[in-house]
Amino acid sequence: MKIVFTPDWFLGKDVLIDVFSFLVLFAFFILCVRYYKLNKKRNFLSLGTGFLLIALAQLATILTKFVLYYDTSFIQTIGQMVITYKIVNTVNIFYHVGFFFQRFLTLIGLYVIYKIPSHKKVKDLFPMDYLLILLALVGLAVLSIIAYWVFHLAVILFLALITSNYLKVYKENKSRNTRILIIAFALLALAHLIYFMSPFSILYVLANLIELVSYLILLFLIIRLLRCNNALCRA
Amino acid sequence: MHSAEHRSKMERKRSRMDIISDILLIINEKGGKIKPTHLMYKANLSHKQMKSYLNDLYKGNFAKKEIVDEKAKIAITNKGRDFLTKFSRMKEFEKTFGL
Repeated sequence: MKIVFTPDWFLGKDVLIDVFSFLVLFAFFILCVRYYKLNKKRNFLSLGTGFLLIALAQLATILTKFVLYYDTSFIQTIGQMVITYKIVNTVNIFYHVGFFFQRFLTLIGLYVIYKIPSHKKVKDLFPMDYLLILLALVGLAVLSIIAYWVFHLAVILFLALITSNYLKVYKENKSRNTRILIIAFALLALAHLIYFMSPFSILYVLANLIELVSYLILLFLIIRLLRCNNALCRA
Repeated sequence: MHSAEHRSKMERKRSRMDIISDILLIINEKGGKIKPTHLMYKANLSHKQMKSYLNDLYKGNFAKKEIVDEKAKIAITNKGRDFLTKFSRMKEFEKTFGL
């Protein structure tokens, strides 16, 4: 039974990419909290929350895939119809719950990151608006269980909006670091575009590799941000 | 050129943290020690304002008073340099993400 899109030879390797992504996202969260403590600006905390939510989504993926891959081999060794059926059902439920959290947390995390530069507009929103947005994101995450592409389409949309926000930031600051950030988010959008077109076999691997490259670029950005000294930063 | 000097007039008012960082940066760029009058001029502060900021810097051990050739100077401490590095990194992070 095929419950994940990963080709057999890529099983496990994709989890390593997810672990790497989780670590990079968590590093951004730590940086945001550290800088929030320094200047108490809420935007740092909001950005950190966005990164943390996506990191938790990655964690949900890791845990789900880990259990799924383990359970799949367990089913093969038993080989009895009734027991296998029950296990498959458990695996199915676990798969749906695990990936629901992955999708919901990713969407809400991306929404938070997208909303930060336009924080003035947030003041105009009522609590009811937030509730509606939350419900819409839950709806999208649930709908993507039936149609996987809904999730990837929503992610592409959010990533396009985030990239567009950072392009505006780049036009103002002309910072090389913002340019690196734009490249990373654009590559992430490309990965999801490939997932959206076809989640199977070689294209799935290609999308995973592009995702890995984008997280490597984000790691490179973290290193650049941590290595800058007074003269370099103020130039 | 000092950051306090090259800030555009169109930019918003400097926060207290920005001013503290500017003061430390000016001292650091002057080799770690500076005359109080030079600092006041370069940081674009009044005498009263500078006294208030310097009191905070002395209390936090970010800067200290020193006598060099019988003249009073303000020197940056290692803690002040560490703060300056952290603050610069935070500003670069802020600039990168447009926060």
